[in-house]
Amino acid sequence: MNNPRFRKLLDAILVPLLAILSGLVVMGILIVILDKPVFESYAILFSNGFGCKEFGNCIFITTLERATPLILTGLSAVVAFRSGMFSIGQEGQYLLGAAAAAWLGYALHLPPILHALVLLLAGMLVGSAYGWIPGILKVKLGVNELLATIMLNSIAALIVEYLVQFPMRADTSAVAHSPVIDASAQLMSFLPGSKWGVGFVIAVMAVIVVYVYLWRTKSGYEQRMAGQSRRFALFGGILSDRAAIRAMLISGALAGLAGAIEVMGVHRRIMTGFSVGLGFDGLTSAILGQVHPFGVFIVAILFSGLKLGAQLGLQLNLDIPRELGGTIIGFIILFVAAGRFYEESIARIRDWFTRRRSQNLKGESS
Amino acid sequence: MEGFFSVFTVELLNSGIRLATPILLAALGGAICNQAGVLNLALESKMLLGAFVGILAAYYLGNSYGGLLVAMIAGGLLGLLFAFLYHKYRVDLVILAIAFNLIIVELTVFVMRAMFGNVGTWSDPSIVRIPDIQVPILKDIPFLGPILSGYNIIVYFSWLVVIVMFIYLYRMRGGRHLRAVGENKSAAETVGINAILLQTLALVISGALAGLGGAFLSIGHLKLFTRNMSNGRGWIAIAAAMFGVNHPVGVFLASLFFGFADAFSVRIQNVTDLPPNLVKLLPNVATLLVLVIIALRSRIALSMARRRFRSQLRAEESARPAQVEESL
Amino acid sequence: MTPAIEMKGITKYFASTQVRANDQVDFSVESGEVHGLVGENGAGKTTLMNILYGLIKPDSGEILIDSQKVQIDHPDDAIKHGIGMVHQHFKLIPSFTVAQNILLGMEPHQSGFLNQQKENELVEDLAKKYNLPVDPAAHIRDLPVGMQQRVEILKVLEHNAKILILDEPTAVLTPQEVNELITVIRGLTKLGYTIIFITHKLVEVMSIADRVSVMRAGRMVGTKKISETSIPELARMMVGREVLLRVKKKEIPRGEVVFEARDISVSDVNGLAAISHVSFQVHKGEIVAIAGVSGNGQTELVEAISGMNSVDGGEILFRGKPVNEASVGERRDMGMAHIPEDRMVVGLNLQTTLDENLIVSRYNHAEFSRYGFLLMKTISEFAEKVVKAFSISAARSGEGISMLSGGNLQKVVVGRELSGNPAFIIANQPTRGLDVGSIEFVHKTLIEERDKGAGVLLISAELDEVMALSDRILVLYRGRIQGELNAATATEEAVGILMAGGMLEDLKREVQS
Repeated sequence: MNNPRFRKLLDAILVPLLAILSGLVVMGILIVILDKPVFESYAILFSNGFGCKEFGNCIFITTLERATPLILTGLSAVVAFRSGMFSIGQEGQYLLGAAAAAWLGYALHLPPILHALVLLLAGMLVGSAYGWIPGILKVKLGVNELLATIMLNSIAALIVEYLVQFPMRADTSAVAHSPVIDASAQLMSFLPGSKWGVGFVIAVMAVIVVYVYLWRTKSGYEQRMAGQSRRFALFGGILSDRAAIRAMLISGALAGLAGAIEVMGVHRRIMTGFSVGLGFDGLTSAILGQVHPFGVFIVAILFSGLKLGAQLGLQLNLDIPRELGGTIIGFIILFVAAGRFYEESIARIRDWFTRRRSQNLKGESS
Repeated sequence: MEGFFSVFTVELLNSGIRLATPILLAALGGAICNQAGVLNLALESKMLLGAFVGILAAYYLGNSYGGLLVAMIAGGLLGLLFAFLYHKYRVDLVILAIAFNLIIVELTVFVMRAMFGNVGTWSDPSIVRIPDIQVPILKDIPFLGPILSGYNIIVYFSWLVVIVMFIYLYRMRGGRHLRAVGENKSAAETVGINAILLQTLALVISGALAGLGGAFLSIGHLKLFTRNMSNGRGWIAIAAAMFGVNHPVGVFLASLFFGFADAFSVRIQNVTDLPPNLVKLLPNVATLLVLVIIALRSRIALSMARRRFRSQLRAEESARPAQVEESL
Repeated sequence: MTPAIEMKGITKYFASTQVRANDQVDFSVESGEVHGLVGENGAGKTTLMNILYGLIKPDSGEILIDSQKVQIDHPDDAIKHGIGMVHQHFKLIPSFTVAQNILLGMEPHQSGFLNQQKENELVEDLAKKYNLPVDPAAHIRDLPVGMQQRVEILKVLEHNAKILILDEPTAVLTPQEVNELITVIRGLTKLGYTIIFITHKLVEVMSIADRVSVMRAGRMVGTKKISETSIPELARMMVGREVLLRVKKKEIPRGEVVFEARDISVSDVNGLAAISHVSFQVHKGEIVAIAGVSGNGQTELVEAISGMNSVDGGEILFRGKPVNEASVGERRDMGMAHIPEDRMVVGLNLQTTLDENLIVSRYNHAEFSRYGFLLMKTISEFAEKVVKAFSISAARSGEGISMLSGGNLQKVVVGRELSGNPAFIIANQPTRGLDVGSIEFVHKTLIEERDKGAGVLLISAELDEVMALSDRILVLYRGRIQGELNAATATEEAVGILMAGGMLEDLKREVQS
């Protein structure tokens, strides 16, 4: 219990854990208001998000698949934030990466694995380039990257909307969409009937790569130092500007990759309404996951499981609107952000205990 | 090409002004928050809440105007909660905004479905759309008449807010104090100005205005509520506030810019093959440019002092050899 | 005559920086006088005045105004008692006008509506009353610093202050503006106002004040009438240390020039000269001290030499090569080491581990990284080695350093900077805030390096340290080299006078009289 490393870990997960529990409590309250069975709801939520009906038919698999874009966009946010760049541009980079992959998927005709690799690369390059823009604006001109990425997200959404409705439009159906990408470009899935496949593997690899990059390489070290203490970095000889731009390039690449995988592994094309805010969801995973690759991984799966459990379980079985899932996630983020509330309460409880103990001791001695 | 120019009609202007109104209301809210030094990125959530609560209230009260009022109160309360969490727990503004946006988007649909069954959209025939008004004197002005008259009360209210906000910020004590807080909080607090109170006030007002903007969409326009009805207008409002450099008149013009681009893009589809989305790009790219210009301005000011010093040194240097020669 | 202000037994300890800023300080000011409060950076004078103005609460002690005990918990209380403060960093709104700033918080209004004309007239009358002409309609951001300060003074007077505290008022002024300020202060005292001004510039104190109080390391050293003291005496009170630390130093022949500054000039953030036409050399095997009270350009000089900021005029040569354009990293690779004056914010990153702090200057060298990857084990071993070599207690590889004491933190910095066998070491206020044992350690280490053949540039405001360590002493005052002395023959008085802005002739005159 006194091992400092263990305590640090405990401190890191205590507030998020309490936040998640609080969120579940709010969920319970809402369910009670709806006059539905509370404990049954929890059970159904979890079994439909994280459980297995029978061997080989696990809904958890779908959760993992749904978590894939969140993991990648979450990693994108992690890389940016750790370097001191508060960029929320994942959404725009994601969309452009998806568009690039969707286009090359039907415009080019290449042998199977090569085609897929080209699409992945294209998604990363496009996302990277779009991430470079706010980076260079911040470094050279001092433009606030938060505001810049907000604008760039809108611009990317408009561009992609245009591409889907005009140049890349496949037919005249009501909902505009691009042609389905060649089979050679599609990502393989592992189980029939599920979209869970290579995409998830890439996401897991990305988690490990980002971790190793940030904590085991020179470049990652530079970025973290520049993000934590600019003056120290300058003093030590680290080129913070270059580190910041590098961070944005990598951050954009990860988000673009997420978009490419979503096209290649799930939808096989891009259409109006492709954007459901996955960029933002990844951002929130990063915040809740303490801006750490492993945290992002866990939280992304948790979020996806909650949403899926609400959608499939609560909605279908108990007729509870599926938006409950998203609502609870929002509350959890709120609770994490208001973490000081927990810290103050814990401190107060600890004080109360120490006072009780000293009173008892006094009582015994007298 | 003839088709292209046929788009520029009075009808376009009318539509542009209508489309600009929700943006204008939310953007004015965002602007007053920026002036007070507190970045409010949760305009989207306040708009959406206003849209939902407004139409519900209109239905249960049997009165659409009552719905507008309730929408403003709801938005204001959300703004108050935002201010409370920000000041008491030092919650990061951006994360707080993201949380609020997420919660409201989902919670409104949740409540709608819980109340009315598993629907994607809700409406009711009994709800009366806020009527358009033909303003007596304005409508008779030649040429400008049709442009100025014929809107519903929310539109005229938004124009009024522009004027009132201008007067408050630049002609009244409270507004000046608010701007002082935004520009140099410690300087304001040193002279006894209550920064927290003013920032809270700004957040409440912006919530009320954004809520009204949302209600415009549901009660004043489409007569229904659907998931994510505001559809990013809260973010456009943030952009409009930036573009208008947080000045009420600037925000007014910026919102019109966005509104016209929207109206234009809808109409252009029918007459030419020009893609509508690209038109909407204009105001967004323009806002990005404004950000760049503002950043450039402060960068240049900083380096000016340095450059002056260096040229002074160079001038001294060129004068010195002459002095040396003189002493020889 | 009862003193206008009396502060008794004021004590304040800051846990965040582990500094006792005020230690049982007694301070009193007579009504209608100009009282200088002097001391070097960190002596505690600003803290003392912040307590008087209600910005900080003291741990203990009391304040009396006109012999009445008062409770000042907030600037509003101080203002109510007639105390006004003009801070070093102005509390002005740049986009507002002069009148708007002066009347901020107390604007005349008609049910909330402002009247710009009336405000301007009010300010004009105010300016006339105190003979401080200003343009009420000018925007603050367009005004020169001296004029901004005048606006701050008027603001304070408008709030009915009878006692004015001016915090380092001349720090940002040109010589011309300083003279104008002196005139203003004299005018105000004639009208019966009491002025306290905080400064470290002794020459100015001598020409403006009636009495002066000297603080050092959180303690009040003494109070003197200006007519009964001199610059050398004040300098001695201000910069000397009670404990004399003599480190044994042997005479060694110095080697070739390792660092040279040729006629360098560096501007500060306002475009004024912080360093003006400075030239000097540092040889291998010698310690050159740049003595001077903080705030005379040391920070800008060190930033320019280390590469953290650029030089505006002149040349910097390192090992004979011009390095004006070289980056910090390049200078470090060439053999330059830097012990910064702010170890907690610049010298270290308290948010990360010991190891990551120790490699910041050499992480891309072959010994610590290969193919872009950090060699974690080697770095960890290096960290353990440094901990052992410098006896840094409570530090371990892989753990954080935020809990270490000031002395141990400095050991981490020194351990890192010296581990690459640098040819040139910049040591900027290396013993500030350290305990006696740590100070001894730093001194011993610097001399060892010099004996090994390194060139050391010591920047210090501690007279004892300068005298004990250096081979040559250069005194920096207002951005220029005020004088150069050979350490073997220099006296404390001589250095002290130069540090305070005087000339060596003053000392000779004093000796003769």
